[in-house]
Amino acid sequence: MTVPATQSHRDTMLRLSDVRKSYGKTVAVDGLSLQIAAGEVFGLLGPNGAGKSTTVALAVGLLEADRGTVEIAGAGGPADPAVRAKLGVAPQALALYEDLSGAENLRFFGTLQGMAGSALAERVRWALEFVGLTARARDRVSAYSGGMKRRLNLAVAVVHDPPLLLLDEPTVGVDPQSRNAIFGNIETLRRQGRTILYTTHYMEEAERLCNRVGIIDQGTLLALDTVERLIAAHGGRSALVLDENGTERRIETEDPAAEVAKLARRGSLPRFRLEQPDLEAVFLNLTGRHLRD
Amino acid sequence: MRDGQDLMREIVALVAKDLTLLLRDRGGFFFTFIFPLVFAVFFGTIFSGSGAESRKLPIAVVDEDSSADSRAVIAQLDTVAEFDTQGMSRGAAVEAVRLGRRVAYVAFPKGFGEARRRMFYGRGPEIELGFDPSRKAEAGMIQGLLARHLSAQVGQLLSNRSSLRSWIHETEVSVDSSATGGGRRGALRRFLGELDRFTGEVADSTPGAAGDGGGWQPVSFKNVDVARVRSGPRNAYQVSFPQGIVWGIFSCAFGFGLSLVHERTRGTLVRLRIAPISRGKILAAKATACLVAIVGIATLLLSFGALVFGVRATSPALLAIAVLSAAIAFVGLMMLFSVLGKTEATVSGLGRAAMLLMSMAGGGMVPLFLMPHWMQTVGSFTPVRWTILALEGAIWRDFTLSQMALPCGILLAIGVGTFAAGLKVFRWTEG
Ligand SMILES: Nc1ncnc2c1ncn2[C@@H]1O[C@H](COP(=O)(O)OP(=O)(O)OP(=O)(O)O)[C@@H](O)[C@H]1O
Ligand SMILES: [Mg+2]
Repeated sequence: MTVPATQSHRDTMLRLSDVRKSYGKTVAVDGLSLQIAAGEVFGLLGPNGAGKSTTVALAVGLLEADRGTVEIAGAGGPADPAVRAKLGVAPQALALYEDLSGAENLRFFGTLQGMAGSALAERVRWALEFVGLTARARDRVSAYSGGMKRRLNLAVAVVHDPPLLLLDEPTVGVDPQSRNAIFGNIETLRRQGRTILYTTHYMEEAERLCNRVGIIDQGTLLALDTVERLIAAHGGRSALVLDENGTERRIETEDPAAEVAKLARRGSLPRFRLEQPDLEAVFLNLTGRHLRD
Repeated sequence: MRDGQDLMREIVALVAKDLTLLLRDRGGFFFTFIFPLVFAVFFGTIFSGSGAESRKLPIAVVDEDSSADSRAVIAQLDTVAEFDTQGMSRGAAVEAVRLGRRVAYVAFPKGFGEARRRMFYGRGPEIELGFDPSRKAEAGMIQGLLARHLSAQVGQLLSNRSSLRSWIHETEVSVDSSATGGGRRGALRRFLGELDRFTGEVADSTPGAAGDGGGWQPVSFKNVDVARVRSGPRNAYQVSFPQGIVWGIFSCAFGFGLSLVHERTRGTLVRLRIAPISRGKILAAKATACLVAIVGIATLLLSFGALVFGVRATSPALLAIAVLSAAIAFVGLMMLFSVLGKTEATVSGLGRAAMLLMSMAGGGMVPLFLMPHWMQTVGSFTPVRWTILALEGAIWRDFTLSQMALPCGILLAIGVGTFAAGLKVFRWTEG
């Protein structure tokens, strides 16, 4: 987790420079800039409607930015098919042929990526194994559970072994088993040196998987740094929550250990728990507690 | 970098995917193949009368002799299961064959009965057979059946030796007791004696009922060519199959248009667009898949019609041109279907309505020549009308290449125009 925040131009896999996109009066992405280094797992966090999916769509060329530029691996923008060949995308909305089997979906999309013959067959086998769908490879996708479809959605993104992956909420709506399996997949991909842009609402996912995190709301990046530094900067203070005969008392402090020691010295240390700032605290501090949508 | 082979492989993959999805979509398969087939067979059968009758050979019978013999032979013909006979005057019979309403005419000329009574000497009775030279096979069959039935009659008479002999003996007795002069009586007796002997010999040498009478031809045929003018369909299936094929083509184009909307709403279009192939290629592949499916469906239905219902094109080359032109027109319409609305529900509803109206006006339901004039005028604005005309042109209207150019040219123009219009309105993204 020690990838420096700044990278040389050469190693930048994805660079968004001041991109803006609006739908009519709604500004979905408003002058956003970020760079993702080769081998990095970058988490893009934000409430509903923050502009995460729009950012992904701009990055892969599904949408054209009103302003600003997108560059992939120093090779140009995603309008160029040769540049798109470097991408693997798992869209937030499942994008699979329900009347084809899992294997047929993988074979079809693999072919579109220029693979063929035994190399394709080998990658299809690998991808099915990767997401644990080998046993159901021949079943139509329409017969899959939600979790299986999510896993296949990820498998299609990686079947051609692209260097840059954009995963838009890859764990949304799945059970803990499938979720853990997908975590495992992403950790494997990270170990293999893939660059990943990962969007989610789940803070613990980002804490566990991401080198760096960007927090976005209303189309603008509010903060961008490593998890530790974000917590240090925006997490707020730790709190000791004391249980004094059934009533709770919060003591906010920069130094919980010193606070506990102070209480102990007074000789009356009650039951207590320690609340340390986490990414969720950072998120709520930055984006506020009001409801979206 | 990718070479041409890669691109070809990608297009093939896209086309194969669409065709697989078409075959796996039960509803789509029903409307593109089963329904058109049922339509073609159902209406073909209804308009041909009962199925059993349609397999009989319709022949016109002309009785110019009006003798007991000719009437007896005609009565016998009526009982032949393979024939559907209808008595008419010579003029009417020739006309019926000329217009293709009857396969052939069989005429019994004056003197037939007389010739038939001269059974064992001189020229046998002659039957005139008129048919179109292109229908030699059917005429040969009619001639064979006639010969068999007529000689069977003779054979029956001859094989029934005892009844013939008893008739001869009765005649001898009556000759003896009559007042006939001596010389003639002797000649008659000699003749009857000879006949008696002949009957015995012939009957012994022809044990079967259908013998050839010991080398003697009981009847001879005179063939007359009647060049046919082709003014109408030869059978009802030649009308119902083009209609059924239009339904199939229409459903197919509609299904592909809907599949484009489906790909957009279900997100697979997003995946196609992210893949390293151009948008043009995605649409070209969709159009190709639609074209292949339409040609395939038309070929299947036409083969079925040819093998089972005798719906054969007078010119296979022109039929191929007609099918291809229709396919191009409907690929254009596919593109237009896909932009009828944003959701599948809208497109599906509007598409079906359009399909029904166009089929109605264009002759997809009621044959063109049965429709009121104003409706035919409206119909000429639909691709259905021109597809049916082109298919009929190759199947029974005997179009020449230049006659075929009109419907096919219009179909190509419809294809190009609707494709361009659809392309202009087409949205790659939702919302
Ligand atoms: N096709 C569209 N037409 C109009 N507005 C849109 C469209 N797509 C997105 N928006 C708007 O743009 C904004 C950003 O949407 P986006 O989908 O990028 O958010 P998100 O962060 O991915 O949200 P979620 O977490 O719900 O997926 C929202 O206000 C949304 O309503
Ligand atoms: Mg989203």
